[in-house]
Amino acid sequence: MGGERLKIILSLTPPLLIIITLFFGGILYGLLQSLGYQPAIGKYDINFSAYYNVLFSERYARMFWTGLGLNLWVSFASTFLAAVFALFAALAIRKTFFAKTICNFIYSLNLPMPHLVVAVGMIFVFSQSGLLARFASQLGFINSPGEFPVLVRDKYGFGIILAYIWKEAAFFFIILMSVLQSLGENFEELAQSLGANKWQRFRYVILPLVMPNLFSASIIVFAFSFGAYEVPALLGVIYPQMLPVMAFEFFLNPDLNARSEGMALSIIIALIVMVLVIIYFWLTQAKIRKD
Amino acid sequence: MKFKIKFITLAIISLFFSKLVSAETAPGFGSWDDVLKAADGGQVNVYMWGGSDAINGFVDDFYGVPLKEKYNITLNRVPLAGTVDAVNQVLSEKEAGVTGDNGNIDLIWINGENFWTLKQAQLLYGPFAAGLPNSKFVAWDNPAVNLDFGRPVDGMESPWSSAQFHFMYDSARNNYDDMPRSYAELSDWIAANPGRFTYIRPGKGGFVGTRFVKQIFFELSGGQEQWVGPFNQELYDKWAPKVWELLNSWEKDLWRSGETYPKDNAEMHSLFANGEVDLDFTQSPRGAGPTNTAGTTPPTSRAFAFYDNMIGDFNYWAIPYNAPNKAAALVYANLVLEPELQAAQVQPANGFCCGWGISTAKVTDAAGKAAINDAQNNLGDAAEDQNILAKALVSDIAAEYQDLIEADWEANVLLK
Repeated sequence: MGGERLKIILSLTPPLLIIITLFFGGILYGLLQSLGYQPAIGKYDINFSAYYNVLFSERYARMFWTGLGLNLWVSFASTFLAAVFALFAALAIRKTFFAKTICNFIYSLNLPMPHLVVAVGMIFVFSQSGLLARFASQLGFINSPGEFPVLVRDKYGFGIILAYIWKEAAFFFIILMSVLQSLGENFEELAQSLGANKWQRFRYVILPLVMPNLFSASIIVFAFSFGAYEVPALLGVIYPQMLPVMAFEFFLNPDLNARSEGMALSIIIALIVMVLVIIYFWLTQAKIRKD
Repeated sequence: MKFKIKFITLAIISLFFSKLVSAETAPGFGSWDDVLKAADGGQVNVYMWGGSDAINGFVDDFYGVPLKEKYNITLNRVPLAGTVDAVNQVLSEKEAGVTGDNGNIDLIWINGENFWTLKQAQLLYGPFAAGLPNSKFVAWDNPAVNLDFGRPVDGMESPWSSAQFHFMYDSARNNYDDMPRSYAELSDWIAANPGRFTYIRPGKGGFVGTRFVKQIFFELSGGQEQWVGPFNQELYDKWAPKVWELLNSWEKDLWRSGETYPKDNAEMHSLFANGEVDLDFTQSPRGAGPTNTAGTTPPTSRAFAFYDNMIGDFNYWAIPYNAPNKAAALVYANLVLEPELQAAQVQPANGFCCGWGISTAKVTDAAGKAAINDAQNNLGDAAEDQNILAKALVSDIAAEYQDLIEADWEANVLLK
C-alpha cells in the first residue's frame, strides 16, 4: 500500500514540478512586473498604476475596451462556427461510403498545420492582392483586385475568424469523429424504430451524446483563440487590435516602464479567460446534467 | 539615484575629456596596445539581426577574415530574429545577477529604441567610442551621429553605417519625373491617385512611419533647424494640429480609405510589390537596390527623394556591461570604421545595403580615398542621385517627439 502511494507520488512529481515552476513561476513574475516591480531599472514599488493605465487612462482605455470587444467577438464566433461546421461534417462523413477515407484525410489535414502557416495562407488567398481577388478580376467579376471585399486585415476580425474556423474545425472534427465512431448506430436505430424523425434523432439522440466532448473542446478552442498572438498579429488591423497583440506591443516598447502595462494586460487576459472558462464550464455542466 | 547622477557626470566629463584628448582609451584599458594584447587569441561574440544572407556573408568575409589574420580573434556571429532578443537577453542576465565578464554577448548591432532600452537600464559598457583609433573618421560633431533617435550616444556605442529616409516607386508603373518632391506635392499626388498611397503607422516597430510624419512637421513649420535641440512642447503644440489636419485630409484617398495602415516595412513592401500602392519607403543609400535584389520589391523599382527634410541616421555597435571579451569587442568596433572596409560596405557588389558610418571627407590617405570614390560611383540605377539625398539630409530630433507623435497620431488620426 505504502509502496503504491510512493509510486504515485514519484510519478506525479516531475510533471508537477515543471507545471509549478514554469506556470506559476511565470505567472508570479508577470504579476510582479505588472505591479511595477522591475529591479532591472531600479523600480521596487508595488502599485496598480499599470492596471489603471490600461483600463482607464485616456491614452489606452479606448484601445483596450474596443480590443476586448473584438477579442470576445472573435473567440465566440470562431469557436461556435468551427464547432457547427465540424459537427455537420462529422455527421455527414461518419456513415461508411466510398470516399470516406479521403474525406476524413482532407478534413484532418490542417490539424498539424501551424497557425502561422494558416494565417499566411489566408493572406495569399483572401487578401485584396490574393489569389481570389486576382482570379475575380481576371474573369471580369470585378474591375480591379482592389474592389475585392476586404476579408483579411479588416476591422471586424473576419480574416481572423476565418483562419480560426479553418484551423479549429479540424480539431473539433477529430474529436467528434472519435465519439461518433465509438457510439455506433445502435442508439439512432433504436430511436428510429420508436418513430423519431431525422431532426428528432439529431436533437435528442446525437447532440446530447456528443455535447460533453463538444463543450470541452470548445473551452480549449475558446481559451486558445482568446490568448493567441500570431493569427491576429498577421490578419488583424492596428485598430481595433486584439488584446494579445496589444500586450506584445507594450512588451516591445523600448521604454522599460511600459513592460508593466504589457504584463498587466497579459494578466487581465489570463483572468478573463479563466473567469469565462469557469462560467462556461459551470453552465455546460448544469446543462448536461439537466439533459 | 546618486549613482545615476554620478554616472551621468562621469559620462559628461569623460566626453569632454575625450574631445580634448582624442587618444583617450576605453574604460579598463591603459592604451590601445593594451586592448590589442588582451584581445589576442580570444573570441568575439557578435549578436546581430540575421535576416539577410548578404549582410551575414559580408560580416563573415570582410570582418571575420582580418580579425583572425591581423588580430588573432575568432568571430562568432550569432544571428538574431530581432535586435530586441539580444536586449532581452542582457536584461535577463542583469536580473539573474550575471556581471563582470560573465555575460554571453560582446557586441550588439543596435540603434534607436533598443539602444535607449539598454542605456536607460545602464546595461552598457563605456563610454568607449572615442577611445577607438578610427574614431577620428567619425563625425562626432554631427547631431545625426552623436544623437541616436534624438537621445545622446555619450560614447556608449560606435557607428557602423548610415541610412536616410526616402521613397521608392516602380518604374514600370510610374515616371521619375512625375514623383512628388515635397509633402505639398505629395498631397496633390494622393488626391490625383486615390487609393494608391499609404504610410506605415507611427508606432512601435514602425519608426519609419513616425519619421515620415516627423518630416511633415519640418515642412509645414518651414524647416528642421528650429526642431534641433531640447524638446520644445510649445513648438510641437503649435504645429501638431496642422499635421493631423493634413493627414486627415488625405484619409479618404489613402489605401483602404485610411481605415487601417501597414504596421512595418515588411507589410509596406508587400503592398507595394502586390501593386496595391504605388509608393514605398526605403532607408538605403542604394535606394531600391537592396529590396530589388532580395525580391521584396519589383525589379523595376527605383528611388526618389523629396528635395528637403529627409531624415538620416546611423546604426551602431554597443558592448553590454557584462561582455565576456570587451577587448575583442573594441577591436571589432574599431575595425568596421577602417575606410577601405567602409567603402566595401557601400559597394553594391558586396551585398551590404547600408551607407557610410564615417565622414568620407575625413579620410586623407590615397588608398582609402580611391576605395571611397569607387564605391560612390557604383551605387546603381536603383539609387536616387546622391546630391539630391545629401542636400535633403536632416538629422533626427529629440526623442520626446517620437513618443508624442506616436501617441497623438493614434488619438488624432487613427481613432478620430
